[in-house]
Amino acid sequence: MSENEPKIVGFCCNWCCYGGADTAGTARMQYPPNVRILRVMCSGRINPSMVLKAFKEGADGVFVGGCHMGDCHYDAGNYKWKRRAKMVEDLLPEFGIDKERFRFEWISASEGEKFQKTMEEFTETVKSKGPLKRTVPSSTDTAKSTAKT
Amino acid sequence: MKTQFLLAKANDNELATRGECGGAVSALFKYLLDQELVDGVLTLTRGDDVYDGVPTFLEDSEDIVETCGSLHCAPTMFGDLISKQLSDLRLAVSVKPCDAMAIRELEKRHQIDSKAIYKIGLNCGGTVMPITARKMIEMFYDVDPQDVVAEEIDKGKFIIELKDGTHKAVEIDELEEKGFGRRGNCQRCELKIPRNADLACGNWGAEPGWTFIEVVTEKGRELVENAHKNGYIEVKTPSEKAITIREKIEGIMIKLARKFQDKYLEEDYPLPENWDEYWNRCIKCFACRDVCPLCYCKECDLEKEFYSSENEIIPDPITFQGVRLSHMSFSCVNCGQCEDVCPMEIPLARIYHRMQKKYRDETGFIAGVSEELPPLYSPEKG
Repeated sequence: MSENEPKIVGFCCNWCCYGGADTAGTARMQYPPNVRILRVMCSGRINPSMVLKAFKEGADGVFVGGCHMGDCHYDAGNYKWKRRAKMVEDLLPEFGIDKERFRFEWISASEGEKFQKTMEEFTETVKSKGPLKRTVPSSTDTAKSTAKT
Repeated sequence: MKTQFLLAKANDNELATRGECGGAVSALFKYLLDQELVDGVLTLTRGDDVYDGVPTFLEDSEDIVETCGSLHCAPTMFGDLISKQLSDLRLAVSVKPCDAMAIRELEKRHQIDSKAIYKIGLNCGGTVMPITARKMIEMFYDVDPQDVVAEEIDKGKFIIELKDGTHKAVEIDELEEKGFGRRGNCQRCELKIPRNADLACGNWGAEPGWTFIEVVTEKGRELVENAHKNGYIEVKTPSEKAITIREKIEGIMIKLARKFQDKYLEEDYPLPENWDEYWNRCIKCFACRDVCPLCYCKECDLEKEFYSSENEIIPDPITFQGVRLSHMSFSCVNCGQCEDVCPMEIPLARIYHRMQKKYRDETGFIAGVSEELPPLYSPEKG
């Protein structure tokens, strides 16, 4: 039994991307169940630190979906996220995380098919990379040597 | 802003002899204090020896003469000193390029009032850590470090002067190849002439006993003109040759800095396995964040519980350093303080500098030099 079922955390903006996911759902479009969707009001709400925390908590891939440029419900939130997303792409390799494990897309509420396709592609990409192996600092040796008995 | 170059020296004899290159900077401080244009002057005084630089706040112009002379082995950072302790005063401060960069970033973020501060910039080729300086003077110069009365970095050499007046010099390259010499961030620093201050003063292109001043802002111009008018400094025009020499020296140093950037941020950059070993040493002492001039948040995200797990002794780097990197690495001015204070000797300045470089290559934003805030802060669409 293959253990390689990636865990993908998906942040979807309430107005567009989440609507797109809903559209995919109501039309019964099949896409891989690996993504755990988290609804946020706007992609501009996403901090790079949230992406980092997702990876820390065991995500193999992180996806962020927002409105198309110019269509943000809050006017410019998705522009702000776009600049942060570029920074996250630069930051992840410094910690040994392949930047292909992070993906951000602009999906509108009617684009159910685009959501389905994106999820299929992304799951495939993350699956091919395998589970995220991180060397988290092991404190046991250090603790043993410095602990007072 | 039409640049203007001039050579200046203090009219006061004591300042001229004890000051560096004719004491022009000290004379400008004296002028500002005497005319009560500032509440005080922030500068560096020599403490016990040449390796001991003490940040000093002067309110009496008589005290200036005690602070004369340059120190290369006392790398301090004035940015957060001003923003945290002295932000409500009108100040004049002598700034290395990195101090000026930190101050500029803090001014943009309204932590320092740019109207209340005179920044008298000093050209800088780099500083040396005090303990490194002592060790290398013993090893390479065969001299007791306590016998050194003055030091200078000139023409690619680190030169020491002893009590008996003799000088000894060693090539900086030789020192740095063996792991001594200037701090890592100084080797990679590209800003040698602080054109982000009001004036840029130094000895490149200067004659003995004179300081070469580049006027950068109107404020700086007024300062020099009025100090001259009121008899604090003598000025003359430098020759075209002197200006060219100065340009050349700057060009060489920038080229060298870029070479070191390529070396330490690309070719010899630690591999992920090395970083794993470094992060494994982190003890979450917060010294790096505390000393960073750009970290001023009253409630720091790093102390929030949602970024650490239960019973985590060594912090997971991705939500400790990773979060700090995502918050300020694009504004990092490469002052090197974080790496200096890390008790576990993690090469922090390198990863922050590398991230700033990546950001600069993508957006053109140069921390400490660009006039606007980083594009990440912009409310614009685009």
